[in-house]
Amino acid sequence: MTASRMAIHPAPADVVPDDDVVIETIALTRRYAGTLALDALDLRIPRGGIHAIVGANGAGKSTLFRILLGFLPPSSGCARILGRDSQMLTPGDRGRIGFVNEEHTLPGWMCVAAVTAMQRRLYAGWHAPTFDEVIGHYQVRAAQRIAELSRGERAGLNLALALAQSPQLLVLDEPTLGLDVVAKRAFLESLLHSSAVERCTVIYCSHQMDEIERVADNLIILERGQLKNMSAPDDFRARVSHWIADIPFKGPAADGVPGLLQVQRIDGLHHYLVLDQDEGFAAFLRAAGARSVQRMPVSLDRAVNGFLAKNHATPAAT
Amino acid sequence: MWDLYKAEVLRLHRWALAAFVVHVGVLGFLARMVDPLQQPTRVYEVVAALYGLAGLLLGLHQMSGYRRVNTWINLLHRPLAPTRIAIALHGAVATLLIAAIAVPLVLIIAAQAGLSARVVDARHAWLPLAAWLVAMCGHLAGAYTMLAPRRWSPFVLVLPAWLAMSMAVGGGAIVVQAIVLAWLGLLVAAAFKPDLDAAPRSTLQEIATALPVQMAVYLLLVMSSLLYQLGWMVLGSHPLNGTPPAGGFVEASRASPIERMQTGLAGSTHPDAALWREQVAISDVHTLSVQIEAYPIRGELTNLAPMEFDDEQRRVRWTFSHDSMRYEGVALTTRAAAGTLDDGATATAFPAPPLVLANDALVSAHALRAFDDRTGGIAVRLALAEDEALAGLPKVIGESTLVLSDRALHFYATRAWRGAAAPPLERSRLAVPGPIGELADVDVVELLDGHLVSFLFGRGSIDGPGETWQDIWRLGDDGRAERIARRELTADFPSWLRHLRWWLSPTLDTLRQAAIMLFAEPSPTQMRAPVERPAGIIALAVALLAGALALGFAMVRHSVLSLAQRVGWLLACAGIGMPALIALALIHRDSLRTTIAPASRPLA
Repeated sequence: MTASRMAIHPAPADVVPDDDVVIETIALTRRYAGTLALDALDLRIPRGGIHAIVGANGAGKSTLFRILLGFLPPSSGCARILGRDSQMLTPGDRGRIGFVNEEHTLPGWMCVAAVTAMQRRLYAGWHAPTFDEVIGHYQVRAAQRIAELSRGERAGLNLALALAQSPQLLVLDEPTLGLDVVAKRAFLESLLHSSAVERCTVIYCSHQMDEIERVADNLIILERGQLKNMSAPDDFRARVSHWIADIPFKGPAADGVPGLLQVQRIDGLHHYLVLDQDEGFAAFLRAAGARSVQRMPVSLDRAVNGFLAKNHATPAAT
Repeated sequence: MWDLYKAEVLRLHRWALAAFVVHVGVLGFLARMVDPLQQPTRVYEVVAALYGLAGLLLGLHQMSGYRRVNTWINLLHRPLAPTRIAIALHGAVATLLIAAIAVPLVLIIAAQAGLSARVVDARHAWLPLAAWLVAMCGHLAGAYTMLAPRRWSPFVLVLPAWLAMSMAVGGGAIVVQAIVLAWLGLLVAAAFKPDLDAAPRSTLQEIATALPVQMAVYLLLVMSSLLYQLGWMVLGSHPLNGTPPAGGFVEASRASPIERMQTGLAGSTHPDAALWREQVAISDVHTLSVQIEAYPIRGELTNLAPMEFDDEQRRVRWTFSHDSMRYEGVALTTRAAAGTLDDGATATAFPAPPLVLANDALVSAHALRAFDDRTGGIAVRLALAEDEALAGLPKVIGESTLVLSDRALHFYATRAWRGAAAPPLERSRLAVPGPIGELADVDVVELLDGHLVSFLFGRGSIDGPGETWQDIWRLGDDGRAERIARRELTADFPSWLRHLRWWLSPTLDTLRQAAIMLFAEPSPTQMRAPVERPAGIIALAVALLAGALALGFAMVRHSVLSLAQRVGWLLACAGIGMPALIALALIHRDSLRTTIAPASRPLA
């Protein structure tokens, strides 16, 4: 078999859908002309709560969503969403899965009332109070054309439409991308304060760690198509620690530093961002010649960025 | 679905309204200047092409708005089957095209019927439907081109191109348009799925996709021979673009009639051949050829040529009506109705719509009629047998007037022809010694005791199959005919090029011809002899089919295609050849690159 040819291994036939799992992937792989977007991804997302998926560009998030919604076939492996093979979704299944993307693509030539009426007739579980509740966060008039709405208002309308469909699973793919601070806050407020969110599972994909920190119950980190972390955000943050060491001479070689995510030298002090290190790391630094060692708290943003930047090319610390 | 339909109508309604206004304006203006229902075929073809192009651009525009990944997800990710979404979107366009294309035509035709004395037949009522069908075919072709994978989607444009190639007329043309529309509808429905890059899924979708792709590939391969001819022209040895090869058809057809006759006689063993050669050199040689390629057919939507002529003396324009099968007059001065003209002395309706070549040449297959300025009536000038069709207009050659039909060259006395009230009696006839569809030129020399007639065959055979030869006959005044020379001409193009359409894929060549002639009757003046293929060409075709089968097997044996797909494609390779193989590579590129794990290979 040449490098350009891929082998399909049939998906395991004995996989039994689990009602407590909304998304399940088994050895899910997707290749684009030699580039691996998803690399044998095994993922099980339980029902309920808000699950944030983060990852650098090219981590495979969009590919994962497209496969889950049946808009892209896997190269191998399988994916299930709400217990159904993602490539076999029926219109009924789609009615149970809400999807909001970053472009908030709505028909610009229609007015808000017409779009709302269309969705209301389309979705059997339409819940008007939820729509009113969410749209109430925005200054949107029913007679306004979609093209006349600001990006933030379109995002709000899109969210209101998606939540009012009473989905069992709501996928939000970078919904606040391109929104200003005010619009972003309004979006998050309307999401968090909606009672509909309590009735469904939300998959929230974003690069904004402040948002993740605020909304997510579960943090899923993808890197180069592989699952790197799945835990509560605080648990992940606790795994990452920031150490400041005063080492008069050259610090220890980077490849000898345990769990190293990032190292910087600022004002003569060595800053180490490390993963899964306890107080023993202080002893390591002292053994390497540190005169003083200090452990600092780490924000989720720093922890995730440090984690994701680990395998990216960066200028060497001096 | 209804909501989506209304939303799409709302999206495009301004464009449709603008198109309606422009369309009505243009048609109204044209109707003031000319009779839009009495234009030659070329005009209708151009107008139909414009409708098709407008539909194509609309399809491309409409689907380009949805083709982007996020927009496509937003459109299809809803509790509605993709096919119903497609029906809603394209149903909206169908409605708008009715408003923009069909309604203006209905208005103009109705206005012409109600407000003028011009002829409006029942056949014209089908024109709005035909125009709408053509526009819809263009629209669906554009939509499919935008949605389906670019590797093969443009190839389905061969389906609307079929409309331009089809010889069907009247109801047959409508049926062909409906078939193309249904076919494209099936393709668009197949393309309307979440994964736009996926190959067709059902057997029906696969066949509906594969057939036009194979035909388009086949036609492109045929057209690629033009590159060869271009190189030939650059080298300066192309038969049609330089000095033609000696002894070939091109040389014979370009020679002067005298040279042609003399060259033909040079090979004759007849004792008088030398004398005739000298006589030809000092005589007038007259040439006839097939002038009438097709005849009007009752009920056809368009006209081969305007079906009208003017009576300049009485200032009346006579237009033939397919409904009454008579000419109906309109006064040129007042534009009021001016009566009807029937079929001469019989005072009955015409048996078939005549082709108007001039006032004195109203031609139908079996008769030539003429308008008489003196009487203001129409008289039959010439009648042929029911199984014979006129191929040209009469030509006066001294004492004789000659008429070429699909079967014979008829000789009449010129004196009897002129001023005769009834059709003249035939003096003699000479059977055409070959199929009329291949006849290029007929050269005639008047002798003291008869005529020398040269028939040159090879029309349509320069770059295609068919024999080329020259026959020279002597027809005596007593009516006896004898062949005095036959000159076999050499083919100007190599055999592989003349038979290219066939050996590339005998099946598709047959299918192409069948598609063109679907619901059409071949014209009697275009009948050709069955083609005989050289053994080498047959061997080449068989070798290509076998090669396509072998390569196809190598491509599919380890692929993830289902067993039925693999068997189907191998049958296509064996029966259709290289176009099927290329279509397989285009449509199933990804599946062919992907292999099945060895344990689960059902065919290895």
